[in-house]
Amino acid sequence: MITVDLTPMIDVVLQLIIFFMLTSRFGDLRRTEIDLPKQPGDHTQAKREPALIIDLTGDGRMLVDSRSVSLVELERLTQAGLASAGETEPFDVLIRPDRNAPAQDLDRVLSRLAAVGVRSWKLGTVEPGGEP
Amino acid sequence: MSAFTRPGSARSRRLGALPLISLIDVVFLLLIYFLVTSDFSQAERRLPSAVQTEGGGVRAAELQPQIIEVSTDLQGLRFVVGQVVMRDQASLQAFLERLPREPGVAVRAAPDTPISGIAAALQAAKDAGFEKRSYVPRGG
Repeated sequence: MITVDLTPMIDVVLQLIIFFMLTSRFGDLRRTEIDLPKQPGDHTQAKREPALIIDLTGDGRMLVDSRSVSLVELERLTQAGLASAGETEPFDVLIRPDRNAPAQDLDRVLSRLAAVGVRSWKLGTVEPGGEP
Repeated sequence: MSAFTRPGSARSRRLGALPLISLIDVVFLLLIYFLVTSDFSQAERRLPSAVQTEGGGVRAAELQPQIIEVSTDLQGLRFVVGQVVMRDQASLQAFLERLPREPGVAVRAAPDTPISGIAAALQAAKDAGFEKRSYVPRGG
C-alpha cells in the first residue's frame, strides 16, 4: 500500500498559515466608513497619533472604536484619556465627521470636550479624489 | 520534529515512534484557536489618520475680531467675514490673504451648516497662511 508522507505537507500548510497570518491586513476592516469632508488638509503638521478618535455619522451618532457612544460616555472616555495622558503628554482628539452632518452635532461634541478640558482637536478630512 | 518520527529511521526506532497525528491535531487546534481569538486589528488610534485640518477650541472671551461665520441659504454655502459675504472657498481664501495673520482666525457656524462648510473655512484659513485657526462651537 502506498503511504503518503504527511510531514512535508503539514510543514507547507503551517508555512502558508503563518504567511497569511503575517501578511493579512485586518485593521482597516474595522474602520467606520465615513464620508469625510473633501479637503487637502494640512500636511505640514507633525505626525502625532491622536489619543481619541471620534466618528460623527450623518445620522447624529458618535462612534468611538466603531462603537456608538452617548455624550456621557464620551465625556467619561475623554476624562479617562486625559487622566492617563497626564500633564506632560498632549491629548490629541481627532474628529472624523460625515461631511453632511450638521454643525450642531460637532458643537455638541466640542462643548463636552471643552467642558472636560480638551483644548485642541483636529477635523479629519480626505483629499479630493482620495481614500479616507 | 520530523527527524524524530520519520518511519524507519534508526533514531525513531530507538526512541519509539511519537504519535504524530495527534500532535498535529493539537497543533492545528492551537493554531485555529489563536487565529480566531487574536485581535489583529490595530487600535484605531494607530491607523494612519486621514489628512487633518486643525482647529483649536477657544472660549468666546478669547475671540479675535477675525471671525468667519459659515451658514447656508438657498444658494448654498455662505462665508461672512465682517460685512463681506463670500460664496465659495476660493473667494474666502483670497479675502483672508489680505488680512493680518497674527491675530489668527476663528470659525463659527450656524447649527444646520454641513460640517464640510466648516472644513472648507478652516482649509481656506490654512491655505491663506493662518497659523492660528480656531473653531468656536455654539454655546461653547
